[in-house]
Amino acid sequence: MTTAATNLRSVPLARRFLSFTWLTLGAALLVMAWAAVAQPSILIDTLVTGGMWALMAAGLAMVFGVMNIPNFAHGELFLLGSFTAFTVYSPIRDAMFNDPSLTVLKIFGPFPGMVAALLVGAVVGVLLEVVLFRPLRRRSREQWVMNTFLLTAGVSVVIVNGYRLAFGNNYHGVTRYWDVPPLEILGVPISVDRAMVLVIALVTIGLFAVFLQRTSLGRAIRAVSQDETGAQMAGIDLNRIFVLTMGLSCALAALAGAALLFLFPAYPDVGLQPLYLAWFVVILAGLGNIPGAIVGAFIVSLLQTLTAFYLRVGWVDVMPTVFIILILLFKPSGLFGSAVKGVWEQ
Amino acid sequence: MSAVSSGSATLADVIRTHRRRIGLLAILGVALVLPFIPPFTGEDYRRWLIVAAFMAAQAVAFDFTAGYINIVNFGFAAFVGLGAYTSGILAVDFGISPWIGMVVGASLAGLVGLVTGALTLRLRGIYAAVMAWFVGLALMGLVRNVPEVTRGSLGLSVPLLLDTSENLPYYYLILAMLVVTFVVLAWVIRSRYGLAFRAIGQNLASAKASGINPTRYLVINFVLSCAFAGWLGGFYAHFYGILTPDIMLTSHTVEVLAIAYIGGRGSLWGAAVVAFPLSIGVEWVKVQFSTLPGVHLVLYGVLLILVMIYRPGGVAGLARSLDEWWKRRRLPDRPSEATADTGG
Repeated sequence: MTTAATNLRSVPLARRFLSFTWLTLGAALLVMAWAAVAQPSILIDTLVTGGMWALMAAGLAMVFGVMNIPNFAHGELFLLGSFTAFTVYSPIRDAMFNDPSLTVLKIFGPFPGMVAALLVGAVVGVLLEVVLFRPLRRRSREQWVMNTFLLTAGVSVVIVNGYRLAFGNNYHGVTRYWDVPPLEILGVPISVDRAMVLVIALVTIGLFAVFLQRTSLGRAIRAVSQDETGAQMAGIDLNRIFVLTMGLSCALAALAGAALLFLFPAYPDVGLQPLYLAWFVVILAGLGNIPGAIVGAFIVSLLQTLTAFYLRVGWVDVMPTVFIILILLFKPSGLFGSAVKGVWEQ
Repeated sequence: MSAVSSGSATLADVIRTHRRRIGLLAILGVALVLPFIPPFTGEDYRRWLIVAAFMAAQAVAFDFTAGYINIVNFGFAAFVGLGAYTSGILAVDFGISPWIGMVVGASLAGLVGLVTGALTLRLRGIYAAVMAWFVGLALMGLVRNVPEVTRGSLGLSVPLLLDTSENLPYYYLILAMLVVTFVVLAWVIRSRYGLAFRAIGQNLASAKASGINPTRYLVINFVLSCAFAGWLGGFYAHFYGILTPDIMLTSHTVEVLAIAYIGGRGSLWGAAVVAFPLSIGVEWVKVQFSTLPGVHLVLYGVLLILVMIYRPGGVAGLARSLDEWWKRRRLPDRPSEATADTGG
């Protein structure tokens, strides 16, 4: 996606950064390999949450790359997704409880909730673009990045507290989606929920990549992220691309919320951790870098899992900052750098 | 605001030239007598005034960074909390006077601001904002995770600042702190530092071209703002007498941010003035809708969204355009002004 050296000066820098990047990646892979042997649960948790953070972070990176919007309300889509999934899944679960012979529901029951979450996410995303960003874009593009950041901060506060007013502070969750005994892979028990989440994440990421790389709409999105004016001259309708980008990004975040409902029950502040971990991934990978965000999500998830396992869950808030400060000391433009430049760089 | 009064200055001219200062002094006068005007004579309502002045002072310190160098300190509440906890812990564990503790808290907040700023301010604005947010989250995580020292979410009881249970002395104290914050920061803005801040905030590249070392100025600005945040946090600690990690929540940053932006970025006074009606209104809403927690935050959020889209200049921007309109309307009556302008 990102072309390596855009000008001559950046060549030696890129090489130096590459080695640092590979060192970090290598270290992460080593730790994962060690975890696979010593503590398989660490590896599994890393892959499961990592897949979902990848969905969150990829959407965040895409919206930043294409629209130059640092979306602070991204975590709230996670919240809306998890609540939608809960609302849709609850009657299905009750139906299963009343009539255990419904094997179809046992297998496919959780999917309607996830699809509904995708749709709700897409609708909210489109609404955000049409109702908020478009009027602002029409009025002024001055200090666009900071203004949209504050705008989305306002959106986040409204959604969180609006949700609290509407549905209260209670936890709405499920203990498990698939009520079947855990699978055993290489002697390690893995709950079907976790395995399914990983499958969903991988399938979605795959589809997302194919969409961006192979379809004309995906190419149009990438074109806008590289050069807005050029894309416009080539006949791309910017408004359409913005609506699509925002809808897609929010749908992915909502799907993550729906899929992780058994780990993160819906409650007003549930979006905070996914939000800052996704932001952490994006800062690490370089703003606007989608493939970097997907790889970075697994590294962050590893860090998070290790912290929760060896220290205490509370330190999960502290470790990313320590880690990112170390990264920034050595590589100020993020782990993977970024060739995506937009108006905000001026 | 060019003063072009030639010859004998009439009273009207003096008023015209100093209208900003006169306006601010008038507002300060209102703030001084406000606790004696019903309904603010009641203790509960005086507490609202304290909250309002506290929010105003925070918003001024916030605007100093957000409005001038265009960096949003998203961890602002955490810096306030850092100052509060520093002062509180010093008082509880070491018996140090809160007055000294507040200064120590301010210094520590400034120091953390220095480290944060030095690391992130050479990056682009959005990185700095998000990194400040991370630092804020980390500080809150730290406070939550060392309950041996901070008592975590149980809350740390700290001694009060004044030997009284009345709210009036606290109100005048926080009002004085607001004035100090405003005067010091406004003075910095009027100095050549302020010029550099504006230059950097408006156009980084051309500021660099004219020989300004941006990082140095950005860091100075950031540290000052963080130090004032810490100092104000000290007041918070020793006014409420109880501290929980919740004071570091991002939602508190958003409250301050909303006031600062509704007041008008890059004006200092807009934030200070707007804070009073806004936070008094919000306190009223909180009391009226006490069964609906968070309704005041929805209000802040909606107001912030509306201001960002339709009135990016906030109240100060509105005042500025009113002022210009007034000047333009007055111009035909005063031909002398036009000639004085062209004359140099």
